[in-house]
Formats: sequence, structure tokens, C-alpha cells
Amino acid sequence: MKEDRRALPNGVGLGLRWEFLEEVLDGPPLAVDFFEVSPENYMRRGGYYPAALERVRARYPIVTHGLTLSLGAHAPPDAEYLAELTTEVERLRTPWHSDHLAFTSAGARAFHELLPLPFTRDTARRVADRLEALAETLGRPVAVENVTYYALPGPTELSEGDFLGELFERTRAGLLFDVNNVYVNAQNHGFDAEDALASFPLERAVEVHVAGHTHTASGLILDTHGAPVAGPVLALLGQALERTGRVPVLLERDNDVPPLAELVAEVGTIRAVCEHAWQASSRAAATRPVEAHASRA
Amino acid sequence: MQAGLESALAELVLGPPVEPQELGALLSRHALEPAERAAIEAAPERFLVYRKLVRNTLRNAVALAIPRTMARLGPLFDQTFERFLAERGPRTHYLRDVTTELLDFAAPLWAADPRFPAWAHDLARHEALEIVVASLGEAVVPRELGPLDAERPLAFIEAVRIVRYAFAVHRLPASEDDRSEPVREPTALFAYRDAEHDVRYLELTPLAADFVERLLAGESMKTALLGACAAFGTEPAAALPGTAALLSDLSLRGALLGQAGAESLRAPAETSDHRGTLREKGHP
Repeated sequence: MKEDRRALPNGVGLGLRWEFLEEVLDGPPLAVDFFEVSPENYMRRGGYYPAALERVRARYPIVTHGLTLSLGAHAPPDAEYLAELTTEVERLRTPWHSDHLAFTSAGARAFHELLPLPFTRDTARRVADRLEALAETLGRPVAVENVTYYALPGPTELSEGDFLGELFERTRAGLLFDVNNVYVNAQNHGFDAEDALASFPLERAVEVHVAGHTHTASGLILDTHGAPVAGPVLALLGQALERTGRVPVLLERDNDVPPLAELVAEVGTIRAVCEHAWQASSRAAATRPVEAHASRA
Repeated sequence: MQAGLESALAELVLGPPVEPQELGALLSRHALEPAERAAIEAAPERFLVYRKLVRNTLRNAVALAIPRTMARLGPLFDQTFERFLAERGPRTHYLRDVTTELLDFAAPLWAADPRFPAWAHDLARHEALEIVVASLGEAVVPRELGPLDAERPLAFIEAVRIVRYAFAVHRLPASEDDRSEPVREPTALFAYRDAEHDVRYLELTPLAADFVERLLAGESMKTALLGACAAFGTEPAAALPGTAALLSDLSLRGALLGQAGAESLRAPAETSDHRGTLREKGHP
């Protein structure tokens, strides 16, 4: 792959994990179009991993996806963390930075997990304001990811789709659309994933995530990122991409990480789904003016 | 009223286990909107999923850093972990730093509780040190030490630490199954990261440790040597050969960046080399 440190992510990428980092560094070029990293794992540190990431960046486009911004918390994001994040995203020259539509802290305490936000207009306004400020601080576009919620901490004024609509009316930020999270939420809360998908503002999507999940004995499905992407999620991905058009898609795998070759093969499977959907999306776009003309007639 | 919701969920997730009949009292301690309270009371088991997720994430991070301490302490460690979550909780954005926060919290508890072995905190600190030093600033390629000016400070790489233990925990076997006890012996280690990013440890004599600590604090070589010798009642002339050998060794290892235009010194310190083994795994 030609070295291009400012290359935009495109196609189908993979979350970079330490389990296979050295293979990425030293092995032959992979059929992976970009890698995504969590900057917290490289911020405020020296040593092997930041050095390794520089080498990865020389071979593949990289985009950053944060974990601990706590975008939806009552308190504004921690200024020291924001300063460190700004330094890191500049160092990595990520084309955009994303984090989660969640809170990960309560006052000074950090959960290191994503806790759900109430779908209210107040929350949408607060998060939208934070996203605008974040983009200005980081000096680059930002995006926010829909999360898995095992419970909703009411009051629930809005559906998730309407909540996102309210949010994106107030910010220029992009949507990082996680397909698996929609599927898991639909299964856990008993609604139709396709209906939910239809209500999402996918025209704002700048990136799409897919991952595997785990069924528990209680019947609850956990968003573990610890299994291959399930068939229904791939089907949902295809439907989503027909609406988003050609945006980069990322495979996340954080637990029970298999050999890299298996993940690259799974990236290939996902790419086939994407290409099919993107072609359908292109055909739909090409026919839209005709349909419009016909309807006017 | 997001703040009330956050504090309620923090107690639910990080606090002591909550029996169903205790949930109402817990929620009453926080400024929740009626709808927020109703949502939690309607499906507490769903909110308790977060309790499990948060604890697994934090515990796995700590287990990566101090597996031998956890294995040796068993339920005693579990009690400390629970108290840490309930009484303080992690504050850092960086998962790798949670262990350090936990050990800072544990230090006075373990020191005051005779159920904990006297060496437990030393062992935990030593285990945790590997990730700490591995994450410090950049290492540089080793090079030969040039002439030094005794009146000026020396420059070290950022990835160095002097640590002191009451027990020789660094000599314990690496196996998590080992239960041998460390020797009670005042120990000073110079920990650094080499050019290959491996963490290494040099065992220093007390005088050498004091000397290097003074250098790291920015004292000139002369001031550091005189100060260390005075602290240990040693004649500076007697310490010179060992000092020179130590500085040369640290330079060749890439830990001491050196300084041009100085006379060579000599001084104390026998060193023994221990190499760290841990390379973090997981989610970058």
C-alpha cells in the first residue's frame, strides 16, 4: 500500500488490537483498508505502543475512536484529558475523531464502560453543544456512536431515532452508526431492528461499525465484540449501507480475538456485503431523478 | 438532573452489593427525577448488568498488572478491590493507571491490617512498575558516555524510576503459583526501559540509589555525590570508582543521556540486572 499518512479511511477496516499488532507491523500487506484505534491507549505514554502505531500509520490509514470522553455526563469533559486528546489526534492526523453517545463517568469517578443516556431533548441539546465544542477543540470533524443500552434510565421523551434526529439538528457532527448495537437493542427491548434503522438519520453517517455479540443464559444479548458478526447484523448492515452510500465500515473485535487471518477473512465477508449494498445504493441514486420526474408527471 | 442519575448508578455499579429490598433506600440517597427512579426500579436487573461489566473491565485491567499479588492474596485482595470501588473508585481516563490508583488506596489499609503479608504492597508495586515504566516517555538508543562536568546536572531518559522496597520482591519467581516468601531486605531498584522497549531493573546499593535519586532530582554530579556520601557516612574518594562504573553502565544501557565537557567520576554501587517480562495485551 502506498504510504499516505493523510489517507482517508475507506472500504472496510479493522479495530487494531495488540494481540495482532506485530503481524500488522511486520507481515505482508493485509486486505484491510484502514485501522481504527482508541487514542486513550496511546495517550500520555511512550514506549513500544506509540512507536508501533507510528509504523502502522505509515502503512495504513488510521482513524481514532475514543472511550472515555463521557460526552453525555452532567459535568463537561475533563480539560486535561481534552488537551491530551487534542495532542494525540493531531499526532495521528486522524481525519475525524469519534466517541460514544453515553456517559462513562460520574463526577470524578470513571466507569471505563458506556452507560446509557436518557433520550430527552435536554440530553440531545447538551450532547450537541459538547460535540460542537469538541470539534473546535480538536480542530477536526467529530462523530458520535449510538450505543448498546441494556436499560434506559428514563424519562424517555423520544425514541432513539427521534433523539438522534434532535441531536443532529443541533450539531454538524457525524454519526458513527453501529449496526450491531441497533440489533442488540432491538432483541433486548423487543422492537424491530429494521423499523429502528428506518428512523435513524443515516444521511449523517460518516462511519459504520459492525461487531459480534453474545447470548447469555438469561436471554439478554451482550455487545461483547467477542464473536464473528452475526448473520442478521450483516443483513442489517446491507440495508444501512444502501442508505448511507459508500462510507467506511469497521469490524470491531475486542474479546476472544482469533488469529489475524480469521479477522481478515471476516473483513472480506463484510466487504462483499458492503460492495453489494453500495452498488444497490449507486443504482438507487442513479434512478432517483427519473423517479422524481415520474412522480411530478 | 443527570448528576443525580450518575451518582445513583455509580453507587449501584461501584458500591456494595444491593439486595432488592435495599434498592429504594439507595435511590433515595440521590437526587433522582421520579421518572429516573421509576426506570431503575422497574428493571434493576438490567442496570445491574452494568455493575458486572464495569467490574469485569476494571478487574481484568488490574489482573493484567498484578497477577501474582492477586493470586497470593486471594479473598483478601477481593476485599481491597471492593473497598476501592466503593470508597474511591477509579479516577483516571487511562485503564492502565487504575492499578496504581488501587495500590495508592490500598497502601495504608494493608499496612494497618495484619492479615496482609508485610511484603504484599512491595510485590504489588513491583508488578505494577512494569506497565508504569513501559508507558513512560521515550527511550533513546544507547551510546557511550562522553566527558562529564561534575558541576552540572546529568540528563536521563524519561523512562526511569527509582523504587524502594522493604523486601526483595524482585527476586521472587515469576510463576503465579509460587508461594515462597521474599527476604526482608531493604531494596532499591533502578527501573528503566531500554531501546528495545523492554523494562529492566538494576539493583542498587543504598548509596548508589541515593546518588542516582539526587541526579534525577537535578543535582549536579558533585552535589549528588557529596550529599549521598554524607547521608551514608562514606568518604567521597572511596565512592568515586563505583560511581564512574555506575554512570558508564547506565549510559551504555541508554538510561543516562550524559553531558559533554566533564571529567569522569567514579563511585559506588554493585548492580544486578533483572529484566521485566510483561508486554501488555489487549485493546489499543
